[in-house]
Amino acid sequence: MAFSGALTLTDLNDFITPSQACIKPVEQTNKPEPQDAGAAATQIQVDSSGSYYEVSTNAPTAGQTAGKQKLTTAEISLNDCLACSGCITSAESVLITMQSHAEVLNVLENNPPHSSPDHKVPVISIAPQCLASLAASISSSSSQNVSLLQVLRRVSAFCKEVLGFAHVFDTTFARHITLLEHAKEFTERKNGEGKLPMLASACPGWVCYAEKTHAEMLPFISRTKSPQQVMGTLVKEWSGAKWGKTPDQIYHVTVMPCYDKKLEASRQDFYNEAYATRDVDCVITTGELQLLMQEKGWDLSIPVSDENVPRLTSFSRGAMFGTVDDQRSDPGMLSADLAFPELLMHPGTSSGSYLHSIISTLTSSSSNPDVFEVTTKTVRTADYEEYTVTNRETGQVVFRGAKCYGFRNLQNVVRKVGRDSGVQVGRGAAGRLAGLRARGRAVRKDAAGSAAQEDRGYDYVEVMACPSGCVNGGGQLRAVQPAKDADEEGFSRNWSEAGVKFDADETLPAAPVGPKWGDREWTKKVEAAYWRTLPTPPPTPPVDGSPASISSAFEAADQLAGRILAELTKPVEPTGGPVGWSTKLDGDAEARRQRLFRTQYRAVESEVVGLAVKW
Amino acid sequence: MDMDQDLPATIRSIARLEGHEDRAWHVAWNPTKPILASCSADKTVRLYSYSSSFDSDASEAPSVKFSHITNIPTGHAKTVRAIAWSPSGKTLATASFDSNIGVWAQEGGEDEEDGAFNPAREWECMSLLEGHETECKSVAYSSSGNLLASCSRDKTVWIWEVHPDHDFECMGVLMEHTQDVKAVAWHPTEEILASASYDDTIKLYIDDPQEDWYCFQTLSGHGSTVWALAFSPDGRFLASASDDTTIRIWERVQEHKWECIDTLSGHERSVYSISWGFGKPLDSGDPGSLGWLASTGGDGIINVWELGVGPSAKDPSRKTLTQKIIAKITNAHEVHDVNSIVWCPRKGFEDLFATAGDEGVVKVWKVASS
Repeated sequence: MAFSGALTLTDLNDFITPSQACIKPVEQTNKPEPQDAGAAATQIQVDSSGSYYEVSTNAPTAGQTAGKQKLTTAEISLNDCLACSGCITSAESVLITMQSHAEVLNVLENNPPHSSPDHKVPVISIAPQCLASLAASISSSSSQNVSLLQVLRRVSAFCKEVLGFAHVFDTTFARHITLLEHAKEFTERKNGEGKLPMLASACPGWVCYAEKTHAEMLPFISRTKSPQQVMGTLVKEWSGAKWGKTPDQIYHVTVMPCYDKKLEASRQDFYNEAYATRDVDCVITTGELQLLMQEKGWDLSIPVSDENVPRLTSFSRGAMFGTVDDQRSDPGMLSADLAFPELLMHPGTSSGSYLHSIISTLTSSSSNPDVFEVTTKTVRTADYEEYTVTNRETGQVVFRGAKCYGFRNLQNVVRKVGRDSGVQVGRGAAGRLAGLRARGRAVRKDAAGSAAQEDRGYDYVEVMACPSGCVNGGGQLRAVQPAKDADEEGFSRNWSEAGVKFDADETLPAAPVGPKWGDREWTKKVEAAYWRTLPTPPPTPPVDGSPASISSAFEAADQLAGRILAELTKPVEPTGGPVGWSTKLDGDAEARRQRLFRTQYRAVESEVVGLAVKW
Repeated sequence: MDMDQDLPATIRSIARLEGHEDRAWHVAWNPTKPILASCSADKTVRLYSYSSSFDSDASEAPSVKFSHITNIPTGHAKTVRAIAWSPSGKTLATASFDSNIGVWAQEGGEDEEDGAFNPAREWECMSLLEGHETECKSVAYSSSGNLLASCSRDKTVWIWEVHPDHDFECMGVLMEHTQDVKAVAWHPTEEILASASYDDTIKLYIDDPQEDWYCFQTLSGHGSTVWALAFSPDGRFLASASDDTTIRIWERVQEHKWECIDTLSGHERSVYSISWGFGKPLDSGDPGSLGWLASTGGDGIINVWELGVGPSAKDPSRKTLTQKIIAKITNAHEVHDVNSIVWCPRKGFEDLFATAGDEGVVKVWKVASS
């Protein structure tokens, strides 16, 4: 068993390292035979192939059958990690064999030919933050400013021509559906069906942390599937049906900026029992994708043909997807490169714009959207920003939300949400203290009088575990060397700005260590690359001459989303027109929608009793 | 206990405070009021008051009397390992093996005039700081009282900002150590934090105003676990106590650079605790005095060093650290390990320190010239 190449301890960049309380190593699959007191002692031997043997140090007695017993290698699967409360999140440090780039190559190489019934259609879906990471890397090493579209085209060419993937998608259309469902869920909660504030659920690091240490937060976490898992549904359930393939006849790989996405894909909720397959079969990180390209000698800085032509226009004319009947009647469509709308760059944050989409849904659903004013307030750093939506006419605050990135800010959100909603925070190790605290606080609140409007709790928080969000995910490419020097200079500048004075003969502090989450300057470059969606040189006019505006792309995405919803949930009652995402569905169809686009969370109870440490 | 008679000063026991039902871990002197707090594996905090009085049978100096005020049961599920008073003396923080930090105060205490202060009234848990995964080992308030730091076996150091109404905001989670973090200590005037670990190192942290707290230096040199830290009262030096039986003195040679300048030997086993106070230097009037450093540990020995800056023996034109043990006792808590030693910070009581032992007893000692 080996770590995937990109996965070494020095790369560990997620927010918490594994704790010592992993339950797995103490689990014994091969129980030792009961031994008499004073029975032979044994020792462990390793043979040339690396196998371990338990060997009796005494000569075997008559009763013993073997003096040498091969030991089973302990294996830790991602499911074990999800079930264990030993670590907060440690996806990156356990032996991940089923979720590596080597596994991708292995499956592709052993994929039977098209003619075989066992052939799997290989599909790869790439997150836009990964494209941004690759774009920033190309830009700094070759001085060309490449757009996300160009990177997508080049990666797509690599995946199809070199690796043999049948389809290459980006995950922004899946994110579009996530955002639609997310806004719908928020409206439901606002109407009393569920708790507020609603907390984002797209970050698996945060979800995992909440399940393991803050069970009281789970009712607040949005149950909408993340873009990765919606992509899984789109590929396996919807596209699969178009292709005439069952979910197990598709091999779906995603490329993600984050190791914890591997954990997310492994969740039991995303396992299809009927077909014994997962919505996402394998998750690799940006770093692992780059490794694949390196191994295959693919140079991402070399342009490919048509890399500046958006596919959007042809899609918006409805040409890429006919109806199901059209495709059945036209077998040629089956082999056509089915495509979802590409690179829908939802305005807001580079971590998915969850907060912004909630705000824009809220304001645009009003009869008079112009009446709302959105103000923002930065709390200490850009990783914590509060958004307040005020009705200009009434002066009433209609919405309070925040974007909150990084483990530190996450702690403060957990505390704030717990306090505002009166739920007991934490693992209950000190129940009595919490009780005392609540009493003391209630008294002071009374004394302080009614809470001011500004003190009203949040309605929504976009929570991400990594500082700077997904562009700085643990699976992203690390800064290229020249950027590092710039950062150190940046630090020196900060020193003097901060008023720190040095004696003339003093040198600057010996190499101040950057923040743990790597290089701030580099993250800024990735952030910039993320928003650099327009191809350079300027876009080639679409084939039919009609300019494809951003809003028409989102409108087209809305339409397709509605159609997909109708086709997947099969509402029986006539809905009176085309199904849109907010269309009310009948009971059975609504249940199918819940199954397809929502998920659930469960607290992981700690079974690990702390050692009776006395030091 | 045995005194070393050849030294210029003696350590006299002036109070023996019993009551903890399990080992006593730590003691903390209230910085503004005559209160001493102790914590224990019995999950309680005990508070004692003290006052000076002149004995009728007329020894030359006033004696200090201690009396038990109250117990805080805490409600922590496990051992209370360490305690820290805020600089105002109105808030007490507890670090527990149940992985939580408790913040204790008296209802209405923030607004009260000092005259109304009554330590016997109920102490309530005003806030619970959660986040550590495993046993908390140490807790400390910064000199301004605006920041609180804690550390844990989970290898992390957390920094919290103290807000009004006993509210706290997490300012940083520092994951620099590779092992159990044993102690945290703040610089006496600046916002510089030091942490000591089972990984044998000391880490120093400052805030980057644009971003988060970060480690600006790692001090290596100890051959084993670093158990305790103490800044000199003037902030120019840092002392560290280790399982390697030595104490190292680190000097601030630049704004953000510290170097080891001396190693003090005088223990036979792990040095668990050190405290650096002003003391009442014997060589009074010496402008180079750095005060008194007290140390104790697994050998049951208490050493008191007088530290100063003076001419180097090799090159009298250069200044160097001067250090000598001025008082020493052995078997301070009979056969038991001594877990903590802390100088009284209050004016007039600089020659008092308290110790906590494995047998559950807290003792108070006075250093006087012999």
